[in-house]
Amino acid sequence: MVVIMVTMASRSTAQRPNGSTQGKICQFKLVLLGESAVGKSSLVLRFVKGQFHEYQESTIGAAFLTQTVCLDDTTVKFEIWDTAGQERYHSLAPMYYRGAQAAIVVYDITNQDTFVRATTWVKELQRQASPNIVIALAGNKSDLGNKRVVEFDEAQTYADENGLLFMETSAKTAMNVNDIFLAIAKKLPKNEQTGSAGTSGQGRRLVEVEGQKTTTSNCCK
Amino acid sequence: MASSCFSNVDEYGFERPQNFDYQTYEEFMSEYLKVLAKRAKRWADIIGEGKSLQRSVTVKRYVRKGIPGVHRGMVWLTVSGAEELKNASPDLYQRLLDGHHSHDVAEIIKTDLPRTFPDNIFYNNIENQQHQLYNVLLAFAHQNKRVGYCQGLNYIAGLLLLVTKSEETAFWLLKILIEKILPEYYTPTMDGLLTDIDVLSELVRIKMPDVHQHVTNLGLPWAVITTKWFICLFAEVLPIETTLRIWDCLFYEGSKIIFRVALTLIKRNRENLLSCQDFTALAECFKEITKDSIVIRCHDFMQSIFKVPGSLSANTIEKLRTKVAQQRAEEKQTKTVRAG
Repeated sequence: MVVIMVTMASRSTAQRPNGSTQGKICQFKLVLLGESAVGKSSLVLRFVKGQFHEYQESTIGAAFLTQTVCLDDTTVKFEIWDTAGQERYHSLAPMYYRGAQAAIVVYDITNQDTFVRATTWVKELQRQASPNIVIALAGNKSDLGNKRVVEFDEAQTYADENGLLFMETSAKTAMNVNDIFLAIAKKLPKNEQTGSAGTSGQGRRLVEVEGQKTTTSNCCK
Repeated sequence: MASSCFSNVDEYGFERPQNFDYQTYEEFMSEYLKVLAKRAKRWADIIGEGKSLQRSVTVKRYVRKGIPGVHRGMVWLTVSGAEELKNASPDLYQRLLDGHHSHDVAEIIKTDLPRTFPDNIFYNNIENQQHQLYNVLLAFAHQNKRVGYCQGLNYIAGLLLLVTKSEETAFWLLKILIEKILPEYYTPTMDGLLTDIDVLSELVRIKMPDVHQHVTNLGLPWAVITTKWFICLFAEVLPIETTLRIWDCLFYEGSKIIFRVALTLIKRNRENLLSCQDFTALAECFKEITKDSIVIRCHDFMQSIFKVPGSLSANTIEKLRTKVAQQRAEEKQTKTVRAG
């Protein structure tokens, strides 16, 4: 069973049902990309703080947050880079997806242009990001079903053809928000050690934690 | 919170964040109110009736010590040269509003209206204020088609409106900022922004080599840290009063002020930054330093930006801009050749 950690970031161990601490923490860099106003920051806010603002400030440059999820025997810590959507900030994007192990490409189900834009992001990632990057496609604003213009099947087919994870999400209702991050966490390889915190700060890092004990964590129970 | 005599909304209409440091703020304000009173009197002497404000050594010194809120819009207009431009084409703003507007540009701007300062009571309650912001951004986008609308301008124009309470004044101040005071930060290629980010990195390397090395070692690109500093001119980054004090100097002295502020932020937090052990801690630390007591105490902070970074002439910055722009052009060419 999988549970989202309620507490944030710095906690470094988690308990198993039998009370023993687990030993593995993986840290991954995840970037959110997509057209302006599709809900990238809202998805992050929902995932990290469980909140939703009807009007989320437009992101300038990028915002950085962390959140931790637990998967059976592993604690997965996401370093989340939430980027600006407007086309002219595109020249900065490689800085954010460089070295990322995961990406969520977001579109708005009520806006066809944002889906087209999402497909160009996917192409760019496939061409220029790390070869093993896990890409998820998120059709956000699924609560606005009556204004839908991008069909679920169309997006699913596209995702299948391109080997992407796919979910329709709603940052507003929280539908599938934790799930999409968890699906990514599951798909990320967690036992190989590559890169280091050293030169890039962006490599996959596997940290062996020595049996520190936390009493309040409700993770992985 | 209950112990504070300050409202949870500040004088510009911004809701204070839940973790707002009221204690530091109160301590600071008890001193700062005296400063404000003294400055108000001094300013009254030089801009009283029948007197016209002109750039001078005295006015520059006064500006560095802070322009009283009630005079800000007028003083910014005068010392920046925006007033002269306005007098040369007094009906420009109205003509732009009356003219033909691109549907696409209008739509992009509309998307960002409710996303501009949603935590400000003027922007989230008063439709009129959003409409004024729309007008300013739309007029600007149509008179400068190369820039058009760039995200970030909403915050700048939004704050200009809150300060000046006049669409037209906000428009002219926005125009002079984007077209004269700042390099090309907001054009589609954002070349001026990329250049200035490299210039700042270079200045940190020269003035604080240990910090530069540390940031490089942990793999945090300067663009990640500073894009918003440059694009929003510290609006939505630093506390509001500090931001406006910076803008006072920016309108008088130009874009080198941005570097002074950035270098001061970094230098005064040198130890904290150097003690960060990893990428995540460093990224968090760069967020923290824009909110701590150093920046809340805006009067001290503004005095320190002229001392802490050491000498920094407009000439030095221009030379560095030319140098790093050249380097980027060469890198671009190398890449193109390789790709070809």
